[in-house]
Amino acid sequence: MTDLVPFVVAVPIFGSVLAFAAGIARPKTGWPVAAVASLAQVAVAGVLAAATFGAGPARIAYVVGGFETPFGIELVVDGLSATVLVLVAVVSLGVLAYARRAGPRSNAFYAIYMLLVAGLSGMTVTADLFNMYVFLEITGLTAYALVAAGEDSRSTVAALKYLLVGTFGASLFLLGIGYAYVGTGTLNMADLAAKLADADPVLAQAAFALIVVGLFIKVAVFPLHTWQPDAYAGAPDTVSALISALVSTVAAYALLRVVYTVFGAGFLDSTPVARAILIGGAVVSIVAGSLLAVSQSEIKRVLAYSSVSQFGLILAAIAIGNDTALTGAAIHLVGHAVMKGGLFLTAGVVATETGARTIDEFDGLADRSPVAAGAFGVLAVSMVGVPPTVGFAGKWYIAIGAAEAGSWALLAVIVASTLLTLAYFLRLVERMFFRAPATVPADGRSDGAETPASSSTGMYATVVGATVCAVALGFGAFVYSTQMQATLTQLLS
Amino acid sequence: MIDTFVPPFVPVLVAALLVPFLSRRTGHALGAVASAAVVPYVWLVATGAHLPVKLFGFHAILLNVDPFSTLMGLIFGLIGAAGVVYSYASDAENIQTAFALGYVGTSLGAVFAGDWLTLIFFWELMAATSTLLVWHYGGKAVRAGFRYALAHGIGGTLLLAAIIWQFAETGTFLFGSVPGGPETAGLAGSIAPVLAALGIGVNVGFVGLHAWLPDTYPRPHIAASVFLCVFTTKTGVYGLYRVFPEHGNMAVAYMGGAMAVFGAMMALFQNDMRRLLSYHIQSQVGYMVAGVGIGSALAQAGAFAHVFNHILYKGLLFMTAGVIVYRTGEERLPKLGGLAREMPITAGAFTVAALSISGFPGFNGFVSKGIIISASHYMHAPLVTVGEFTGLQVLLLLGGVGTFMSFIKFGYYAFFHGSYDGTVKDANRGQAAAMVAIAALCLGYGLYPEGLFGILPIDVTTNPPVGHVYTTYTMSHLTEGVALAVLGVIGFVLVKAPLSGLGRVPDVDAVYNRVLFYGTRALVVGVTELYAAVDRVVVAAASATAGVVRAPDAVAGRLLGDTDSPVSLRADYSTSILVVAVVVAAFVVAITAL
Repeated sequence: MTDLVPFVVAVPIFGSVLAFAAGIARPKTGWPVAAVASLAQVAVAGVLAAATFGAGPARIAYVVGGFETPFGIELVVDGLSATVLVLVAVVSLGVLAYARRAGPRSNAFYAIYMLLVAGLSGMTVTADLFNMYVFLEITGLTAYALVAAGEDSRSTVAALKYLLVGTFGASLFLLGIGYAYVGTGTLNMADLAAKLADADPVLAQAAFALIVVGLFIKVAVFPLHTWQPDAYAGAPDTVSALISALVSTVAAYALLRVVYTVFGAGFLDSTPVARAILIGGAVVSIVAGSLLAVSQSEIKRVLAYSSVSQFGLILAAIAIGNDTALTGAAIHLVGHAVMKGGLFLTAGVVATETGARTIDEFDGLADRSPVAAGAFGVLAVSMVGVPPTVGFAGKWYIAIGAAEAGSWALLAVIVASTLLTLAYFLRLVERMFFRAPATVPADGRSDGAETPASSSTGMYATVVGATVCAVALGFGAFVYSTQMQATLTQLLS
Repeated sequence: MIDTFVPPFVPVLVAALLVPFLSRRTGHALGAVASAAVVPYVWLVATGAHLPVKLFGFHAILLNVDPFSTLMGLIFGLIGAAGVVYSYASDAENIQTAFALGYVGTSLGAVFAGDWLTLIFFWELMAATSTLLVWHYGGKAVRAGFRYALAHGIGGTLLLAAIIWQFAETGTFLFGSVPGGPETAGLAGSIAPVLAALGIGVNVGFVGLHAWLPDTYPRPHIAASVFLCVFTTKTGVYGLYRVFPEHGNMAVAYMGGAMAVFGAMMALFQNDMRRLLSYHIQSQVGYMVAGVGIGSALAQAGAFAHVFNHILYKGLLFMTAGVIVYRTGEERLPKLGGLAREMPITAGAFTVAALSISGFPGFNGFVSKGIIISASHYMHAPLVTVGEFTGLQVLLLLGGVGTFMSFIKFGYYAFFHGSYDGTVKDANRGQAAAMVAIAALCLGYGLYPEGLFGILPIDVTTNPPVGHVYTTYTMSHLTEGVALAVLGVIGFVLVKAPLSGLGRVPDVDAVYNRVLFYGTRALVVGVTELYAAVDRVVVAAASATAGVVRAPDAVAGRLLGDTDSPVSLRADYSTSILVVAVVVAAFVVAITAL
């Protein structure tokens, strides 16, 4: 079982190389290769998750290359990383099903796609801080490339901005690792946790500040989010969905890991400013993200700013840092990925079928594209946090965690976030279901930039699957929270 | 004696349901028989008869026969039957008599209740049926009916609050006197009796809470007034006894005294016949309230004796006033006069009733009022004493003088003063029958008080239960009765001239009707204005928000003072990097310096 751990990185890398190589021999072979690799990845992740949540040990560790722990690179799968691992595998497979018709279709695209999956999986399982930086860079670079895969100049500009800001963030992360290494002389997370307590506090604090700010950029916490709306809106629909569902999610997971596995709950308790900054970032993100989302006119930008707000919630849960809140963070990471990925894909389906990309064009969508409108409505309602959806479960656990910790101000903001979310999604739901469509020429958009096309079964299957998951996962939240107890106890000790 | 499980309200309410569908003659006959049948029925039902049931899921007792409820049942049945006969003779519609029978039936339900829940249930129904009885007449009675319903709604709610308090304290609604009831009789705790006294105070017309009474009773049909004057206030006295069954309450006793004086005084100012009689209800009920408040066995016996007698003579008075209205169409005393020659039967009946209510020796009022005054003389810890009289006794005697004065006024202006223009027929046969029967009872119980003593719940002729045995005709009692009459005559002669120049004297309702009206209007205006203000603020905020949302860059431009060119709010590359640098610098400084 332990030997299976490196395969979560190896399988997608192998798939990536194979897709690239096959492309040299024959074009348009990328998709099947990527699909097979993704299926294998789902299988590997599933087996590992089953082992973690099953009767076996709650923590599966593997040291690469026959070294011993403080020196070799260690890979660890526990409840939290298994959750994210399965999420990455399943979402990338789902988006792949959507990409078959929606494109891009080049082999290079699929090679980069699988490389991104490898980077994300690597960030998830690694227990070595420098190794995490490497995977973070792999993730970042592939993501920049994928954003640039769009056909118009807009995606290129967005990718460049993403590249500049993202690289700056990754550099800060690396700088922080440097400070931590100077202070302790080790890079293994568990080892760092033990030695940071005795290290020079200024070094530890500087390391914390640099790493957290670096990850804030990757997570897109306000006001470090500036790359994110452009990237999401500029990228092709397939890429928007994949990046919005996974990249910020895994960055937020990395933040959780670094804060609790490397620095530990004790560090937050002894450095109140650190916790204050986390809480401040959370509150500002929740409020500002929602307000910016309300003021957008383009659907994908609304969804992008919505992510800023939702990751504020997860940041709030990390700042609170008790069992309940962190359970909520894990649930909301998964829930947000499913919902936001689903929303982007649905927006893609809508754009493919009707050409509608702005809020005004969503008028009367229920008549023109009923399945997409229905899916969008359910996902939006779930995002608002209406029971019994997964959106409700995540917010509920985070809110309870805030109440348990006595952070009443934060609780008020979390509850208010529901109303703010309602503010921008209700507008869309109202337009889709209760307004007559504006007079649109029968052949689609008047400027002829995009001609309506039909959506494939795969596109519909992915959208409907995401919708069903958004509701069904809500029912599993309680079982999941009991399964997570062992991991969280270990994490917070 | 008969064993039964049928509460006496059942036949009356059944009759009430049937009357609207029968002919006038048959319907009224049925109503009179059903009501009259209650008299022998409750007379024969053994004390202690019970009908335990579940009402709304609580233990309740629909039929609880003890001497107090028996007395109430006897007189309610009797006057109910007389009232129906009088209604028939006074051209009352079937539907009105049906409401009246409903009112009689629910009153019977209230006085035969064995628990507070049943009591309040019938109490509220009584208020509802009597309101319908008032409303049925239409015209001015409708608005008065609204005020009546409002007053009784408030009173009933206060009583209900007291009853809920009692349930919370004791865990049961049952009376203390029934099997399974709580150990102490009356309402438990210190708050519940106060709430109950205030709630019942509306029904019996405590001074200040009484304004509905002279407001409502003069307005409906003349036969409806006969019913109204009997049941609500007297059921109130009975309820007050259930709240204070053992030791009375000094405040209630003095409130009774105040009612006796205030009611009689206000009555003296009135020119409308039925309004004058209405104030006398308050005054006479004051005697009963005083009796219940004193709380000695003699006083309680006196109170219930007075309930019995009062129903007879007050019903009779409303009948005579009704006949005058029926025959002349005139409500106001100054427009009448010299009717003694025109309507000898009515004048005779009135004289009997007036002497009874004033407590002249030989009439039934003399007997029961005497018991209460005697009890007030012997009362424990009387607070105030004037010579050998207690303060309460003085009030009750003053009330007696006022009663004489106002009935001399009534009789003088209606029957003896001047002469009537034209001819007026006397009461018709049915009216005469009802009046003569009741007048005979007034006289009979006056001359033969032992007949009354026999049905009283407490025997006043032996010691114990009463501390001071009561003998009706003693020299001092006779002197007292005659003295009151003489003082009344002298008083009337003195005030006759100033009274005739007096207009309408305002009562407390002049104040609280206005307060209520303008208060409600202020509340409504305040609420709507507040709503409008909030609405304006919300609308302004919403449109401002919409402006920001629709064109944030234009708003930002306006904020920066540049009204023409909107400011770009999107961060370009350099701004993004600058923001990151600033944030990381601030973070590092904050975390390492603090």
